[in-house]
Amino acid sequence: MQKKRLAAIAAAAATASLLLAACGSTSPSSSSNSPILIGVPVPLSGPYASAGTDIVDGAKLAAAKVNSNGGVLGRKIQIVPVDDACDAQTAAQAAQKLISDNVTAVAGGYCSSASLPELQVFHQNGDIPFVLDASTNPQLTQYGYNDVFRTIGRDDEQGPFAANFIANYLHAKKVVVMDDASTYAAGLAQNTIDALNKYPGITVIHQTITPGQSDYTSELTHIASLHPDVLYYTGYFTEAGLLLKQAATLGLKFQIMGGDATNDPTVIKTAGAAANNFIITTAPLAQFLGTAKSYVTDYTAKYGQAPGPYSVYEYDAVSVLAQAIKSAGSTKASAINAALHKVKDYQGMTGTFSFNKVGDRTPAVYITLKIVNQQFTAFQELNSSGQWVSVP
Amino acid sequence: MQYLVNGLTIGSFYALVALGYTMIYGIIRLINFAHGDLFMAGAFIGWTVLGAFAGMHAPAALLLIVALLVAMAVIGLLAVGIDRIAYQPLLRASRLSILITALGVSLALENGAMMLFGAGFDTYPTNLLPTTGFLLGGAHVTWVQVGMFVLSILLMAALYLFVQFTPVGTAMRALSFDQDAARLMGVNVEGVIMITFLLGGSLAAASGVMMGLYYTQINFLMGFLMGLRAFTSAVLGGIGNIPGAMVGGLLIGLLQSFAAGYISSQWQDVIVFAVLILVLVFKPTGLLGERVVERM
Amino acid sequence: MIARAQRLSPLIIRFGPLAILVLSLAIPFMINLYWLDVMIGILTFGMLGLGLNLVVGYAGLLDLGYAAFYAIGAYTTALLTTVGHMNFWESLPFAVLFSAIAGVIVGYPTLRLRSDYLAIVTLGFGEIVRITATNLGFTGGPNGIYGIPAPSIFGYQIFSDMSQYYLGLAFLLVILFFTRHLAYSRMGRAWLSLREDESASEAVGVPSVRVKLWAYVFGAIFAGLAGSFFAARLTAISPDSFTYTQSVNILIVVVLGGMASFPGVLLGAAVVVGLPEILRFMSLWRLFVFAIGLIALMLLRPQGLWPAAARTRDPFGQLGPPGDDDLPQFPDAPKAKGAESALLVEGLRRRFGGVLAVDDVSFRVQRGQVVGIIGPNGAGKTTVFNCITGVTRPDAGTVTLGATPLRGKQPHEVVAAGLARTFQGIRLFKGMQVFENVLVGMYPRQRVNVLGSLLHTRAQRREERDSLRTARAWLRFVGLEEVAGVKASELAYGDQRRLEIARALAAQPQVLLLDEPAAGMNPSEKRDLMGLVRRIQQLGVTVVLIDHDMNLVMGVSEHIVVIDRGRKIAEGTPEEIQRNQHVIDAYLGRDESEQDDEAVNTWRS
Repeated sequence: MQKKRLAAIAAAAATASLLLAACGSTSPSSSSNSPILIGVPVPLSGPYASAGTDIVDGAKLAAAKVNSNGGVLGRKIQIVPVDDACDAQTAAQAAQKLISDNVTAVAGGYCSSASLPELQVFHQNGDIPFVLDASTNPQLTQYGYNDVFRTIGRDDEQGPFAANFIANYLHAKKVVVMDDASTYAAGLAQNTIDALNKYPGITVIHQTITPGQSDYTSELTHIASLHPDVLYYTGYFTEAGLLLKQAATLGLKFQIMGGDATNDPTVIKTAGAAANNFIITTAPLAQFLGTAKSYVTDYTAKYGQAPGPYSVYEYDAVSVLAQAIKSAGSTKASAINAALHKVKDYQGMTGTFSFNKVGDRTPAVYITLKIVNQQFTAFQELNSSGQWVSVP
Repeated sequence: MQYLVNGLTIGSFYALVALGYTMIYGIIRLINFAHGDLFMAGAFIGWTVLGAFAGMHAPAALLLIVALLVAMAVIGLLAVGIDRIAYQPLLRASRLSILITALGVSLALENGAMMLFGAGFDTYPTNLLPTTGFLLGGAHVTWVQVGMFVLSILLMAALYLFVQFTPVGTAMRALSFDQDAARLMGVNVEGVIMITFLLGGSLAAASGVMMGLYYTQINFLMGFLMGLRAFTSAVLGGIGNIPGAMVGGLLIGLLQSFAAGYISSQWQDVIVFAVLILVLVFKPTGLLGERVVERM
Repeated sequence: MIARAQRLSPLIIRFGPLAILVLSLAIPFMINLYWLDVMIGILTFGMLGLGLNLVVGYAGLLDLGYAAFYAIGAYTTALLTTVGHMNFWESLPFAVLFSAIAGVIVGYPTLRLRSDYLAIVTLGFGEIVRITATNLGFTGGPNGIYGIPAPSIFGYQIFSDMSQYYLGLAFLLVILFFTRHLAYSRMGRAWLSLREDESASEAVGVPSVRVKLWAYVFGAIFAGLAGSFFAARLTAISPDSFTYTQSVNILIVVVLGGMASFPGVLLGAAVVVGLPEILRFMSLWRLFVFAIGLIALMLLRPQGLWPAAARTRDPFGQLGPPGDDDLPQFPDAPKAKGAESALLVEGLRRRFGGVLAVDDVSFRVQRGQVVGIIGPNGAGKTTVFNCITGVTRPDAGTVTLGATPLRGKQPHEVVAAGLARTFQGIRLFKGMQVFENVLVGMYPRQRVNVLGSLLHTRAQRREERDSLRTARAWLRFVGLEEVAGVKASELAYGDQRRLEIARALAAQPQVLLLDEPAAGMNPSEKRDLMGLVRRIQQLGVTVVLIDHDMNLVMGVSEHIVVIDRGRKIAEGTPEEIQRNQHVIDAYLGRDESEQDDEAVNTWRS
């Protein structure tokens, strides 16, 4: 009496697998004059889709630049974007998609939680080079994989930078560090707290909010009751704008600061005049990098709007990959990885950098921005002797 | 005291959206998962209207009223359309299949809005509303907050009176008791369902525009969390019951506000849901829900 | 077309499962790694779908927080393998245990709620689990847990996609195996009956809360297993994988595929995981197109892509020819006839709002008798039945069955004590087959527990065979053996009445209550019914029946109780009642209301 059912199940699964088998059979050939494929896994759906689109645009700009200079090894570079939806399981599938597309290397990533399964897939499939452009979680370069690199600083470098600013420039005595429980923000918050605790005489309080709400007045009311000098919010720009606006409504006077994920015009659009005096610690936007003037011009000319916060790091990621492929003289993963490890004082749009043993960028660069008259303006940076100076 | 003000403000938004859930549930026993997304769509329509007239130097009050009315009309009709296309054909099928179409509509609205308006955040103009306020028992209260609260209460009261004292309202109540009996008694069932969706949709749109004005930030995903909380409010108050939705919304707002202030923001949803579960365990039909008599 | 399909189907039945097994073993060699990864995703959702199918498809409980159990399994394995230094296999029993415990914790206090409220409570539970995992330190907070070791089997590490695929396939087959055992057992039928009509199910002896709890617990266990697999496969988990959206996706798998349909659920998993992948080329539009596709599919196929068909084609095929001794014996009945009261009702009283529906009703039913209860419409007869069977709580009074007091017992406990009933408006489990309806009626008589069902033990198989044999005998007893395999909803009206009686008899009651069994029957059906009542009496079952058809009641009853406006106005033999002036007045005074029969009673109950 059970056989009939089993037969039905069999037929269902057969249909499904035939369907998939049919779809899976197309795979691109890789002849010598076909383009070199570079995968870009970023969120293209969901709340971070705009950041993902920006990164893909940066990658395409870099590819266009390389191709107009004759390409690499006589072949053109082609960008292959995939949607990782900022979700671990989708990310693993997106990475597999890139593998099946036979990409030579990968440059991208936005959410650290999605980059993690991705880099494991690339590692397991022949150490495909993966240059991260925006995933700043320190853990990502700590697995001992020799195919992971990044063109942006790590959270645990931004944390001490922010702590230094809060202690030595703002001279705060009581600090509230607040995150939104996301992987990224919690990591930055913890690193900042650890660094702040090394300064004598500073009281640090840790808070967490739930992202995606519209109303944070109760959280702010609670923070106000603690009488802090500074509130440092390590989460994303959406909530930052709301926090600023609602803090103004409540008549709160303490200094509010944000991490690099608050570096977005939405903050100003949301909060209006209430955004003034907001201070952001960030890896510099292309607009504030002396070295990236041409990038801003090119990007704006091509896409009709100013670049977002990370696309310039993606531009460098793709460019440095192209250079590594060139100097390796091969599209073999091991050769490219070796070439990437040898990169020294690369002149990128984001300044001069090298990759250290684990593939992290050195030196990392950070500055502070301040919103003045509803405009982002460069504020303070550390000079080579560790003093706070105005950004020229 | 400040927590009270904060809680009432956000709670009145929950209550407005919860009304839509409650009305539709009351009539066709459907948890309309797309309702939160109608709220989102309303916010975007209002934003589009405000953007279209931004160049003209019309008085702010006029602009606001036009934006509100256009959004209510468009979303009301959209809600009716969704009902006709996606829900009506399934009313006689299993309740779960209609639930899945509701989820599908929700997903379609979210992604449709993403395609139309982009994935990022859009912002309402920040200069339309005054930011002045007053101090009340140590709490900052803005006139806008007061206005929003009063407007919400007025809308809810109007709806309540409509349902209690007009012929259409009476038909709605009859329908919620027994659809077949109501049909036999000559009630135009399709018409009443249409009016319900029209009303529910335009209320959601109204709260969407108000929310956009008040918090300035709108996004294609904003309906999700709102929908979740409003649905929770409706159930807490007793789904199918209009005063229940109001009470539930305000209670959830207050609960969240005090939980965020005195316990911890990150645990506030846990607290809200825990309270909800406790209430339902001890009072299975919600705070104001009437007892449902099982038929034998 | 159809004929050809039917000729083909024996072939499919014979070779289908084998073909699918070969095919699923061969798949990894036919597709590239990317699609293999998608296949693993489909396997994972298949496991989840099969588990949720028990909860939603079978028991009809709407669960919007199913991902919570998935999370508990995943976190258990992740923590025990990283912090606890166990290997994957050692962590599995704990994953099962913890998710089962979670199932009990959520299920126990909440399963009494109506399904829409249950939906929000489960949703809330799902969110509570996810937020807790995000906020606690030992679960790794928002980062989740990294570095979960890959499982190994006989020293071979399951790390490559292909080996993960086979591990997933093995998990899926194990879950398929067990869920099917459950689905085709006493428990599975009880779940289906709950989905079809919860109060009827309770009234034929299914302890609804306990049965629902089992659905919940098994759903949780299978989700926990899927979670363990997920953790071992990705080697890293974070709370992001266990959101409300994930719960909704699993629900879509079940409902889109077809509730309670095993092939449907697997097809649903393939669509929910595969379709968005196929639509990848549309990049930004893909979720929108997926959503539209989902709506369209539901509109075109409201029952799902592959709806559950009649579950068993030839119910009695595995039994031998019918024997004479198949009907269960009622040993103590004949010799005790008349010696004692089978049912004693004393001072029963029940008020609805301002109406005193039952006012101080007492009567005694002797063992082996057929007793008729008559009275004008709205007199309170059905309310008396409801008070006796525990459906309605009486405000005062006692009911005693033999020597057992029934007061305060739940309806299913009343059935277990030996009192079964039918309903005024027929309440069959319409989507279930005729013989399944009777089998549900046997629930209180069956003894094999849920573990036996799960493992398909020898005792369980023996009991199933015996039950089938008895069910066949009962169906023959009421004359429905020929239609045992059709769905109850397809029966003619009179046949539905008789099926309801067979279902009640299947519980082997001492006393059987029939509520208007002749309503809607034509004269010849009524004659048959009178014969049936007499034959039931000959079995030794005491019968109490309500009906308006005086010929029927006077014809079969040995004793008659007359109720009017909630009070007993007369009692005696048929002849006495026919001469009783109170009774004549009561009937003559209200003759015109006879037509509104159904409506009045519906309002009243």
